[in-house]
Amino acid sequence: MTEPSTPAPAPTDPLEPWPDTVDWRPVSRSLITVELINRAIWSVVVLAALAAGWLMTGHWSWPAAMAAVLILVIWRSLVTVRAVKAWGYAERDNDLLVRHGLLVRRLSIVPYARMQFVDVTAGPLERAFHLATVQLHTAAAATDARIPGLPPMEASRLRDRLTALGEDRAEGL
Amino acid sequence: MTSVQPNPGPAAGAPGEVVVDEPRRRLHPLSPLLSGAKSIAVIVAALSWQTLSQVGVGRFAIVVTVIAVGVVIFSVIGWLTTGYHVVGRELRIQDGLLWRRNRAIPLDRLQAVELRRPLLAQLTGLAELRLEVVGGGKTEAPLAYLTVREAAALRQRLLALAGRTPGVADPAAAQPAAGVPALERPLFRVSNTDLLISQLLTPQAFLLPVGVAFVITQFVLEGSWGFVAIASTVTAMAGVLLQPVRRVLQDWDFRLARDPGGRLAVRYGLLETRSQIVPLHRVQSIGVTWPLLWRAKDWLHLRLDIAGYAGPQANNDKRSDRLLPVGSFPVARALVWEVLPGVDLAALATLPPPARARWLHPIALRSFGAGMTPEVFVSRAGLLTRELTMVPYARLQSVRVVQGPLQRLLNLATVYADTAGGRSGVAHDRDVAEAWWFAEQLSLRARLARGPASHVPAAPPPAVPPPAVPDPAVPDPAVPDPAGPGAAGPGAAGRGVALPQPLPGPAVAHDAYWRRPSQP
Repeated sequence: MTEPSTPAPAPTDPLEPWPDTVDWRPVSRSLITVELINRAIWSVVVLAALAAGWLMTGHWSWPAAMAAVLILVIWRSLVTVRAVKAWGYAERDNDLLVRHGLLVRRLSIVPYARMQFVDVTAGPLERAFHLATVQLHTAAAATDARIPGLPPMEASRLRDRLTALGEDRAEGL
Repeated sequence: MTSVQPNPGPAAGAPGEVVVDEPRRRLHPLSPLLSGAKSIAVIVAALSWQTLSQVGVGRFAIVVTVIAVGVVIFSVIGWLTTGYHVVGRELRIQDGLLWRRNRAIPLDRLQAVELRRPLLAQLTGLAELRLEVVGGGKTEAPLAYLTVREAAALRQRLLALAGRTPGVADPAAAQPAAGVPALERPLFRVSNTDLLISQLLTPQAFLLPVGVAFVITQFVLEGSWGFVAIASTVTAMAGVLLQPVRRVLQDWDFRLARDPGGRLAVRYGLLETRSQIVPLHRVQSIGVTWPLLWRAKDWLHLRLDIAGYAGPQANNDKRSDRLLPVGSFPVARALVWEVLPGVDLAALATLPPPARARWLHPIALRSFGAGMTPEVFVSRAGLLTRELTMVPYARLQSVRVVQGPLQRLLNLATVYADTAGGRSGVAHDRDVAEAWWFAEQLSLRARLARGPASHVPAAPPPAVPPPAVPDPAVPDPAVPDPAGPGAAGPGAAGRGVALPQPLPGPAVAHDAYWRRPSQP
């Protein structure tokens, strides 16, 4: 009854499964800028708060904390470039593939037929750089299919394609 | 699924009212009293004994009376403004005084219908009808209360309407389910003695004597027997015992049956009886649990996941997700065969992760495992409390592969099979190549299972590298079920009642948890 799970010889690169059948598309490089600006704003706020604490107390632990935050921010910013390059999505005949993450790598395979609705969102920073985020929702809360950093044209094309395919293959649960 | 249309202004009638072929119906006239009684009890409990001693009995009675009258008036207004009717293939419910709400529930999206009768409702011959639909964290449409006869009739009607859905199994078989006068086929009944013993075999009940002995020795050593100390001990004991006692009360007289339409009918409860009807194609996954303390009795617990009952964070006691509160392995095997035709609990084989995953799970590595059968994805985890999850391919929502930093060092990855029931089948720490193979197979089989191909026998898809190894001990059960689990809906129902599929042979191993695929 049960087939032994002896896997077929498959490519073992965790981010590049099935290289011959899947055509990965990257997200826009402008997302790097958006993420960096986002992080810069937050780090300025945090650093300002820490500096205020230093001015008021004069204790040595405040500049130490500032240095730690600065190092963390710089390291995260360096990683951001690679993290954005790690985002990718692919449209296959029957399902959407989304991969992301550097430290924890994730890949989601979501069949079009399971789509419940599609979200297209864009924050103020994303709008300034002409980017949008497309998210596909299924009936399972755990489904994780979010694609940030898409140009508006590509985002609406993807949305229309997803909804069209979803309607084509629609069914209940 | 449900549409909410707020409409300001109390005088306005139901908005968007189309030509209605049947009049709007009200709930039972006693329902405001019943629902009011619950809130009055809560308020009185909140006022507590302390207030009583402060203000005196007379004033306390007056306060309670005023509150009671207010609550009843409020409930009566609520009752006057609540109505329901069936329009076409929708159930429409209107309620609310200031914010009127008019929601339409498409019946082909119905997941399960439950008839609940709390104690007061049992005394007055009333019942609450709860409809489960996906979306929304709680039951979206409780109709409280109707007479039992009315509720049962409405449920039959809703299920008949819902069963006529052309989507799931076969479009042609739109047989009038209501017209079938056949009786229910009882499947199983849990003996109340077993239920009592099983709840005595819980950590709470097991540790209670130890705790009591500890407290008593403390008292003896201290030599103080104050009233407060004894009272608080009793309260603490009651608190500890609350969960087992509640389980016993809830799962009392547990009965399972197949109704004439082939759906699963579950009934249980002592103080609050519940009667739940689940179409088989709404079953998202089945969980099997072997608690540590039940092992002496060789007992297990079966759980049924249905979309619409909110995810795993919901309070476990409130959910109606039991398939078998306590039972032996052969019983569970027969029930699983009944709910997921073609799935033999005794023949599920799983393989543990590779040995190098020992770095991540030094002790419990062997307890993880995953495997695939022609119908379901099986995964297991847990050393002390063993849990096995079966996800039918047709119910799969999405597949995820996740690899953490430690897993990357060891070249491992974890595969998740997400369902709408809130729980996922998880293959922990597989070899990366194997994880990709799992992911590919899962998405491929899910597509075959939900597509039109589900009518052909659930043969392994052509891309499977190794052919199915015939198990010498068990006759292959994949053959006799031509419909597959996806087709076990209302359409295929009549056949399911007429010919209950036989279980393939006796169970070989009673402990399915550790079973491995037999190697050639």
